[in-house]
Parts: sequence; C-alpha cells; structure tokens
Amino acid sequence: MDPRTPYAQSPNRTAVLSGRGLVKRYGTQHALAGIDIDIEAGDAVAIVGPSGSGKTSLLHVLAGILRADAGEIFLAGQRVDQLNEKKRSELRRTEFGFVFQSGMLVAELTAEENVALPLLLGGAGRKEAITAGREWLTRLGLAGKEGRRPGELSGGEAQRVAIARALTHRPKVIFADEPTGALDTRTGRDTMDALLHAAAESGAAVIVVTHDRELAESMPRTVSIRDGLIAARLAA
Amino acid sequence: MNALQIALRVLRVDRRTRTSAILTGVGVAVATGLVLLLVSLPFATQVRAERAQWQEQSYSSNSEQPAPLLLSYSEDFVNGKKMTRVDVAVMGNPAGVKLPAGMPKLPAPGETLASPELAKLMRELPASQLADRFTPNIAGSLGNDALRFPEQLAAIVGHTPEDMPSDAVPSTAFTHGDPEPDGLLQLLSGVGVVVLLVPSLVLVASAARLTAARRERRLAAIRLAGATPGQVTGMVTAETMISAFGGALLGLALSPGLHALATLVPWAGGTWQATDFNLPVGLTIVLVLAIPLLVGLAAVLGLRRVFSTPLGAAAGHSRKPLHWWRLLAVPASGLFFLLAILYASSDSAGDESGLLVLFGLAVLVASASVVGPWITSAVGGTFVKVWRKPAGLLAGRRLRDDPKGAYRASAGVVLAVFAGSMALTLMPSFEAQAGGGRAFQDSVLYVETVPANATQIAQRADASLAKYGEQARSEVVRQVSIKVNDSQRGSYSALVMDCPTAKRMTRFNVGSCDATPGIYSSYQLDTRGASVISYYGNGEEQGTPFAAGVPVHLLSAADKDVMYSLLIDPAALPAGLEQSPMERVTVAVPSTDANREVIRTALGGASGGSQVYSRELRLENQQTELSDLRRVTVIGLIAAGILAGCSAAVATAGSVMDRRRTFGALIAAGTPVKVLSRALRMEAALPAMVATIGAGVVGVSVGIGLFSLVEKDGIVLSPWILAPVALGVGVALLAASVCTPALNRVRAEPLADE
Repeated sequence: MDPRTPYAQSPNRTAVLSGRGLVKRYGTQHALAGIDIDIEAGDAVAIVGPSGSGKTSLLHVLAGILRADAGEIFLAGQRVDQLNEKKRSELRRTEFGFVFQSGMLVAELTAEENVALPLLLGGAGRKEAITAGREWLTRLGLAGKEGRRPGELSGGEAQRVAIARALTHRPKVIFADEPTGALDTRTGRDTMDALLHAAAESGAAVIVVTHDRELAESMPRTVSIRDGLIAARLAA
Repeated sequence: MNALQIALRVLRVDRRTRTSAILTGVGVAVATGLVLLLVSLPFATQVRAERAQWQEQSYSSNSEQPAPLLLSYSEDFVNGKKMTRVDVAVMGNPAGVKLPAGMPKLPAPGETLASPELAKLMRELPASQLADRFTPNIAGSLGNDALRFPEQLAAIVGHTPEDMPSDAVPSTAFTHGDPEPDGLLQLLSGVGVVVLLVPSLVLVASAARLTAARRERRLAAIRLAGATPGQVTGMVTAETMISAFGGALLGLALSPGLHALATLVPWAGGTWQATDFNLPVGLTIVLVLAIPLLVGLAAVLGLRRVFSTPLGAAAGHSRKPLHWWRLLAVPASGLFFLLAILYASSDSAGDESGLLVLFGLAVLVASASVVGPWITSAVGGTFVKVWRKPAGLLAGRRLRDDPKGAYRASAGVVLAVFAGSMALTLMPSFEAQAGGGRAFQDSVLYVETVPANATQIAQRADASLAKYGEQARSEVVRQVSIKVNDSQRGSYSALVMDCPTAKRMTRFNVGSCDATPGIYSSYQLDTRGASVISYYGNGEEQGTPFAAGVPVHLLSAADKDVMYSLLIDPAALPAGLEQSPMERVTVAVPSTDANREVIRTALGGASGGSQVYSRELRLENQQTELSDLRRVTVIGLIAAGILAGCSAAVATAGSVMDRRRTFGALIAAGTPVKVLSRALRMEAALPAMVATIGAGVVGVSVGIGLFSLVEKDGIVLSPWILAPVALGVGVALLAASVCTPALNRVRAEPLADE
C-alpha cells in the first residue's frame, strides 16, 4: 500500500477529527509531506517518530495552531482548515484541550485559577469557573493544592494541573505534546494514566506526541511518522 | 572560555539577547547624551557670564590703586529688544587696563564699539530711533567673545570724564572677581538632571531587563553547573558592558548634535554660541564611564536571587511580599524636602541651601521607586480579590506577583507626571507674579534723576523732541514720602501730579478731575497728623505736616499694582515744604508705538545715557523670562514624556518576552490575543493610574515648596495641573499597546522555539 494515500480522500464519517493530504513546508523542507489521519471519538493515539520527523507539526496542524500548506481537516465531519484565525482560536478554546511538555501554566495564577482559565476565557462567571476548576483538581488527586502556584508544585502535579486545564471545558480532542518529557518514568506513567483516565471519563479523544517508546506502546493506537509521512500504523 | 567570550557568543546566537543589548545600548546612548547636555548647562551659563562680565557693574576691590577708568552701565531697548550699554572714560594711563576678550580696542571719546547685530540695526533704523543715542563714530565691532549671545545688542561708548553719565563710577578694570552665572538656569539644569536622568535610567533599566527572566534562568543553570558567583558576575558584567559602553560611546558621538540643537533654544533674550556647551574633558570621561558602570552595577545587583538560590531562580519560584515600611519612603523624603525648603528660605541659609533642596528633590524622586512597587502590589491584591474577567485576574496576579517588574513599566511615566505637575504648579504662580512697576501708564518712558538735574534733562529732551518733529513733551514728576498714623504701614510713596496729568500719564483711576485738589488713594487714609518727609542723608529727616482737612479722594482700584501708591495734587502739598536734594524725581514722556524709539533716543541723550524705563518693557522682560521658563519646561516635559513612553513600551515588551512561552501556550490553546492584550494593558495602566495620581499630588506639593523659595504667598493652582496625570495615564496606555504586536509576534513563532 502506498503510505502517502492509505485512506480514502473523504473523511471517515465516524471520526471526530480527520486530516487529508496534509502538507506543511518550512522553506524547502517538508515537515508534513501529505498525511491522512483519522481520530475516532474516545480514541487515544500516540504519534511517534525521530526528531524532525514532523510529529509536532502534525499535532499543531491538526489543532489549527499552524495552517497547513495543503490538505483538509475535518472536525466531526465539518471542514475547519479554512476557518480564519479568530474562528480557529475559538475552536481551540472550545473543542480542543492542550497539554504541553512543561505544563506551560501561567506562573502567576494559582492551580485552580489556571484550570478555570479556559472557562473564564469562554465567558463563564468567576464562581462557576473556579468551582469547576476545583472539581477537576480533586478528580486528578490535587485536592488541597488549589491555591498553590505552579512554582510550588512538583513536575507531576503541574502536569496534572495542565491536564485538568485541558479537560475543564470538556473538549472533543486533547492534544498532548511530550506531556511526560520533563518527568521521571514513574511520574510520567502516573501522569499519562491520569490523562487517559480523565479523557476517557469525559469521552475526549487524546492525541499524544512522544519520544517515549514505552509510553507509546501503552497507548491503544500508535502512528509512526518519518520524513513527514506516516511510516507505520499500529494498533494495540 | 572567559566571561567576555561567553557574552559575545550569547549575543551572536541569541536574537532576543541581541535585541535587548541593542535597546540597552540605545537607552544608554540617550541617557549619556542627555546627561552630557544637562551637566553642561551650568558650564554654559558660566561661560556666558564670563564673556559678558565686562557688561555688568562690579566694584574694584583695591581702592588704594588709582582707577584709570570711569564706567557707567545701563540697559536700553530698541524695538522691544534689550540693549546693553557701557559708557567709558579714561582718567589716567590706560596701558595697564586689560581689555575684555572680543573688544578690539578701548573706545576713545566720541567712538562707539557695537555688536554686529546692533550695528546692523543702526544702519537699518532712522538715526533718531537708534544711532543718535550713541556717539557718531562707530569705530569697531565687538566680537563674539565679548557678547553674551551671538545676536546680543551691546555697545561700549567712549567719553571724556566730563561727559560721563552722573552715575559713573571709577574702576581699576573692566572686570572684578568672579562672574555671577544665571542662578535660575543653574537651578533648572539641576532640576532637569534629576527629573530627566531618572527616566533615562529607567529606560536603560527597562532595556537591560528586557530578557532578564531568560538571562536569570541561563545564569542559574550555569551556576548550578558549578560556576562561582564571581564567574557569573563576570559574565553579566561583560554582557551588560558590551552594550552599555557601546551606547555610552554612541551618546558621546551624538552629544555635539544635541548641543548644537540646544544652542538654538533662546534663554534670557538670545541663543547660545556653539562652544558654550563644551564640558571639561575630564568630566566628560567620568560621565561616559559612570553611566555604563551604573548600568553594570544594576545588572549585577539584580542577580542576587541567582547567587542566593540558583534553584529558586531556575524554577521561577514566587517572590517575597513587599514590606509595608516602603510606604514611609514618601512621607520621610517629603519631610526631608520640607526641612530643606524651610532651611533654604530661612535667614540663616547659606550657599549650600540650593544643593540641599536639589538633594531633597532627588530623594523625593527616588522614594517613588520605593513606594511605587508597594502600591502596585496593593492594586494587584485588590484586583485579585474583586476580578470578574480573566484580564482582571491575569493583571491582578501579575501585579501582585512581580510588583517591581510591573511598576518598572510605569516608573518613567510617574517621574514625568511628577515633573509636569511640579512645573504646572510653578508656571501659573510665576505668571501671577508678573506685573508691578511704577504707577505710570505702560507706554510712558521715564528717567529717574535728582532734583538738581531734572529741569535740565527735561529741557534737553524737549529740545531733541522738537528737533525730531515730535509733539510730545516731558513732565517733571516729584515723588514724596508721606507718614501717616497707621500701625500697619508707616509711610507711603506718592507721585506729585495734578489730576489731568495723572489721568494722561498714570494708571490711577482719577475720574473726571472735578474734585478739589487733594490726596488720591485706593483706601481710606487718616490724614490727621500726616506729614511729608524730606530726607537729608545721614538718617536726618524732616516732616512737614499737611494742612488740616486736606481732602482724600478714594480711587476705584482698577489696578492692584498701584494699590499702595498715592497721588497728591501739587496744590495739596503742605505749605512751606522744601524739596529735599535726595528726593526722587522722574522726567517722563508719554509715547506711542510710532514715536517710542525717538522719545527713548531723546530721553537717553538728554540724561547722558541714563537708563530709560517704562512699565511696558518691564512687562516684556517678565514675559521673556516666562517664555524662557515655558520653553525649557515644555522641552523638558516632552523629553521626559518620550523617555517615559519609551521605557514603558520597552518594559511592556520585556514583560511579554519574559512570559512568551506561557503566552504562546495560551494563544495556542485558543486564548484571543485581544484578551491577553487587555490584561497586559490593564497591568500597565493600573499601577500607572494610581502612581501618577500620587506623583501628581507630590509634584504639586513640591512645586508649592519650590515656589515658596521665591515668594511666600501667591500660589496659583490652575486646573491644568490635572493634565500631567491624564497625559501620564494616556502615555502608559499608549506604551502598553505595544503588547499587541509583541503578542502577535509570539503567536507567529513556533511554540518549541526556546
């Protein structure tokens, strides 16, 4: 089978997020050379590959952070790659959640305020957002640490705050870029368990970009990328 | 790899560090240029004063030496411009007399040496308006070295000793002792150094802190890798010094251009010569070295956290809350300033009192940077409690978490508002002080003399006026002292003039002149026991009582400047009053725009070169001084405002750069840039608003204090004093708006680029 065209050109009707023929260039270099991918609702997919293979670019293009040079993206069957920046921002704020390598929490805000932030930005009131933030922190085992700043939390705790922040507005898809990259193995495993468990509870799909082979193997599905193309697709 | 090599490598590979270094360099260049200009102002006034010292009356300290010169000094005016005139006669051997620089020769009797601008006017105007005031032979030109400023109207006129004006004094030389530089300009340059240097340094500090968080993390990592505090200090010093010294050299290179611009700004009637602003080489070197060293010192002091807790710096732990004692800084420094003002305005004040007041001002200005962060933190704390929108939460937390950093953005604005409020308090009060002068109408020209010369001067003046075809004639006006039974005021000065003449020549509102001859006064006067006092020297005085029942006519006081003057009809003077030889007599001629210069020529010629006065010129001189003040105030405030705006903008951009990864992540997660922009604008505007209001109040208070050095009362508070606060908040908001392009740049950069 030609790895460049493994799927049909129309999106999978059951997929919550689909990419078709995605191309992303930086100068003359192809970060993505024509990728097709489908993410089902509740799916948990690890994207793996060597450095520079294009996995983070794929994550950013699917999430609408970067605009693809060619190709189409569908969210629940609706094409979203042609949306303007304002609409894409709104989409990211309402339909997607993000977990970054070092949490990327707002250093000045407390844990509960960090978690409440997406709801506040979406127009929720102070009380509603803070209450939701506290609930998510409790679900992720951080009860009693609501008032701590990111600098006062351990790496694993900070990542769990980031996971809570990613889930608090009940997104359809969670994008996680090297979520355990800054953690030791055991804390990383615990953090991933927390992410997958919480995502499964809320029915969100999870896309994780990782270098960590062990972490990737623990995921239900793995997509391997090399030179901007899908090299292999493995199901657990 | 040594510290310098590491610094150069970081600069080569890191674009943001390079940007910070360039901005730091520009900030240091601006600060260096401004400091070199401001510090040169006292030198410039000194050089001006030295050049013009021969134009100022001074007395020989050695009275035993025979005086070869007879000198008379006067000011004259032509077309509203001030003219300096020195009349000279040689009494002995002039060989030992040292000529002032720029004066090619000592004018012989009948010769005049004029400045180029005066010589040009003499050629352009009819002789009756100007040239006739001088001897007919223009024997040479005064060079620039003899002039206060290039376009000065100045002349030295040669006479025989017999022809000299009556007020001439013998002198051994043209100059004695040290010149007296312009005190007001020296004070203003001191204030300028304080209020402009601080915003300059804030700009430098903002630029140096542009990548502070990034550098702090890098240095903490180096420290954790085993570098000693000394090595880290070396790295920071090298990194800062490269840009700071570069900036200082750039400032030095730009300095002549700035000085050339400064020569175009008129002060005290004229511009400056190109060399006036030259600073001594030694001082220039000290200043050019001192500013970068201060910047380096500030950068090293900013590393305390890296030295004490490198782990804390690397992990970005939150900082300690600020102590409440910071609040005491303003009252304490205010008290010090108040004491300095009280001392300076006391009778025991010495020469050092001015410096003490300036030091007090500097302490007060410095106290803003102590209390400012506390206020910022308090404002942040309030917002953390009451926020409703994410912008309020983000701004409140940021202000609470890093009040020093947040205040830095508004520190320059606070200083500019302080300076503006102070200036706008002083200016209307100074303007309200304008006026005064004698009771003659503004356009009346007059010379003052003694009774013995008055008639002769009047006759000569009338003859000249007739020769020039003018209808106007002179009036000889006596001025007497009246003693009354009044515990508040012992004596009054009174012009002796009949009612129709007073109506024509003075500002007394005498009405229709139908009343019986008497005393005209703005207030009720008890004439029982009143007398006219005649002075005879050596403290001897003689009172001649008024006739009983001398009428007192109440004037409707239209002009506050004549309130305490009286007018006496000659017929109401006491019988048998003798004219004292020391009585003040004025020869006055009313003028119009058309004949003013001719009358001035006639009066000046008739009095042998004595000073010809008029209230109009007094008011014009006041307006010139006020214009000078307004001009330098506006220039200073614009400079302070631009510096403040730049430092606020740089600090805001730095705040975005420090948190670019967090902002990048928030934008990636869908946070609209406008929400973050609003938060950052609020972050900049909130402390600016609170601090500028405080700075406005303190500025007004300081303005009142400084004004009290000049006048005890008469402070005028105009609504315009609110303008600096409004403008300050506007500048802070405008500067904060740079966060939007900065955030857009963050959005455009890949998240992983760190």
